[in-house]
Amino acid sequence: MKKITPLAAAVALAIGSLSAVQAQAASSPAQLEKQLQALQQSVTALQAELAQQKQQNATSTDVVTQADAAETYATRDEVQGLQSDLENYKYQVQRERDTQTALSTRGLLISGVIQGKYSATSQQVNNPNAPAATAVRDRTSTFDLGAVQIGFNGSLYKDYDEGRNLDYALRFGTSPQQGTNNSYLNLLDANLVYNALPTVNPEDPRLTVTFGQQLLPYGLEVQSTEELKPTINVAQFSLPTTGVAGSSGLDLSRRQLGLIVRGELWPVFDYGYSYRATTLTYALGVINGNGPNKTDDNNHKDLVGRLAYTLPVDYNSLLRQLTLGASFYEGQQNLYLTDTATASQVSVGEGRKDRYGLDLSYNHHPIGITYEYNEGFDAKAKGTTSARGEDTTAHSRSHTATLFYNFGEQFVKGYRVQGRFDDWWPKSYQPFYRFDRFNPNVDLGHQRVDIHTAGLNVFFAQTTKFQLNINHNDYESTGKQANDFLAQFQFGF
Amino acid sequence: MKNVLKTLAPLALLLSLGAQAAENPTVIRFGSPIVGTGNRPVAYGSYYATAQTKALFEQEFKKDGIRVEWNNFKGAGPAVNEAVANNLLDITWEGDLPALIGKAGGLNTRLILASGFLNTYLLVPSNSTAETLEDLKGKKVAVFKGTAPQLSAAKILAEHNLKERDFRTISMDGNTATAALTTGDVDAIWTGSSAYQLVDRGVGKIVLDTRARSYELASQGFVLANEQFEQKYPHIVQRIVNVLVKEAVWSSEAANKSKVLQLWAKSGIPYSSLARDIEGIDLKRAQSPLLDPFFLANIKRNAEQAKKLNLLLGDVNIDEWQKPDYLQQALKEVGAEHYWTTYNAQGQPQG
Repeated sequence: MKKITPLAAAVALAIGSLSAVQAQAASSPAQLEKQLQALQQSVTALQAELAQQKQQNATSTDVVTQADAAETYATRDEVQGLQSDLENYKYQVQRERDTQTALSTRGLLISGVIQGKYSATSQQVNNPNAPAATAVRDRTSTFDLGAVQIGFNGSLYKDYDEGRNLDYALRFGTSPQQGTNNSYLNLLDANLVYNALPTVNPEDPRLTVTFGQQLLPYGLEVQSTEELKPTINVAQFSLPTTGVAGSSGLDLSRRQLGLIVRGELWPVFDYGYSYRATTLTYALGVINGNGPNKTDDNNHKDLVGRLAYTLPVDYNSLLRQLTLGASFYEGQQNLYLTDTATASQVSVGEGRKDRYGLDLSYNHHPIGITYEYNEGFDAKAKGTTSARGEDTTAHSRSHTATLFYNFGEQFVKGYRVQGRFDDWWPKSYQPFYRFDRFNPNVDLGHQRVDIHTAGLNVFFAQTTKFQLNINHNDYESTGKQANDFLAQFQFGF
Repeated sequence: MKNVLKTLAPLALLLSLGAQAAENPTVIRFGSPIVGTGNRPVAYGSYYATAQTKALFEQEFKKDGIRVEWNNFKGAGPAVNEAVANNLLDITWEGDLPALIGKAGGLNTRLILASGFLNTYLLVPSNSTAETLEDLKGKKVAVFKGTAPQLSAAKILAEHNLKERDFRTISMDGNTATAALTTGDVDAIWTGSSAYQLVDRGVGKIVLDTRARSYELASQGFVLANEQFEQKYPHIVQRIVNVLVKEAVWSSEAANKSKVLQLWAKSGIPYSSLARDIEGIDLKRAQSPLLDPFFLANIKRNAEQAKKLNLLLGDVNIDEWQKPDYLQQALKEVGAEHYWTTYNAQGQPQG
């Protein structure tokens, strides 16, 4: 049975009264007047009732409106339209995935770096007696591709819970060739990285184990990014040795095969600035020691390690990013002598290959200062196979100091990550000076090579910079001096 | 002599104009810790954000040839602090915790305007069985540490006799936390005004919020001036404050609520989500720029709380930090001296 509301009852009463009026239309005027008054009273009562109902309805309308808002119905046409759009989108995505998308079994980030360089020197490069493929005559300038690299990085296992991820890195690169256009890509990085400790909380220390071919955790020059290394050329000490018995560098910049553990102790995270400083970082590794993508050439594994202390201060401290580090590399290298019978180089034994370094860096935007000191000890065989002399040790030493100043925001991490409508990047200018001294054998005397570099880096897009370097080279052994001019675009993706 | 004066007069005028021109900066660098969906530089939730969207400063300083530069940081308050520390911003909007951390750490800022109260929400995945804060004890909860919701969350936890360490609390930025909530990699997230967007998408449900509750639990917003800029260009700061106070009046008007929400929705957060965020809230009070006794007392309470929770390393002298002169002048110039109600330290309206 339907419930009758008071308003409906009142309306019914009013209609009833009206019917009664109509039925008695023929009554006397006095009666009619009386009935009219009764009718007016009914209408007044009805109006009061209606007003009350309206008030009640107004209160409940808000609730109804809110409920309606949550239950807005779509028409069949609208739903079908949406379904149709969704199907079209699914088809388009599937089609593009099949025909236009690069796929990989696991997550993949492809990156690359290209350096287009022009260099000129005051000292002619001459090598006319070399074989035709590598001969050079009177060269004072050249265009080069300083380095061309392509890298693949990704995750093999992603630990969503604690971030103990298993990652990989693969990188190939080529460098300028002399007398040939065969720009073979060499294998640079090929390694597996396991995060042994959770990585989700920036306040927790991290520990990674890297297996495979990788850069050495030694000093600043070898592993620093452009944040601490503004020059086009790398420091002399980090270059590979030249020839099996030569010693033009400490051979620290080449990738090596092995296993290296890198860890942190007592990290400090300043949440007010999202700044992380690890009080102590350490690394220890065991490697072949004879360069990239080579099986070991002796039965000794080389050891490399580093310990660095960063002041655990907050971001706004003047001492932010002041780091002191010490590194070592201890290994054995094969020694070679000329075989008197065949005139070729043959291995005659093994000798020490040790390096020790101290470094300091202060990277407090806009100022940056780095200093690195290294000593190397390389055993040398003397004589020939038939008349072998006493082995000696080449004691090398290097000093590398860099000073730079940033105009612009390139190195303010939070600043460059902004929401912008266009392809914005803060333009920055970085003038710098570097002093680079290397003495391949301090015991021989007059072996020192000093390179003074003044330069300017212009960062004008996210992955692109223009570099200008002027080098003044001072060769103590010959007493000669030379100046180089280098201009380079470095761009990446 | 007259000839000499005649010759020198244009020169003096030129020099005077030159000196006058030198008083103006070539650019004013504004900072905001809010980006919209897809990192668009559109903020929401305050009259400061509305002023950006309406390009009011561009209009104000166009005639002087002063360029206006907006920097909306994905890294939120901590990124604003980093930029201020490197002297890269002149005027900023910040939530209470990052602003207090910055000041306690020695950033040279001056608090020139209040910018209302902001809601904080605790969201769980839509299929979660958690219904109360206590249900989440020992669970993984994400909060963007160093931002205003962290302090608001800490105050709510304290109200429930709980601490951050009663949960597996991890720091995540807004986008990461949203993704983690969607994939179920976290059990809950603390977030701000964008909460209803996640509710409407069916990603999460609200367990707890500060909406229409005590103002003490909500986050406070501040407009700060770089002290160096403020001292060098006080007349420019005054004009900035005038624009903001005028905008605050417009944003406070109930008749403009819909227009304000439309402007905020340009951030990509749906109109309906933003409307629900301010539902039942006194819009006029929320948009008030007044540094009244309640607002200042609340900052002091927040600073004490933050220090107690080891979120703040140093002290902040709020009375020295605030500089209400610009606000007072702007209220006169805009004719809004009696527009907003002032509240005493206990939160009661003052005559």
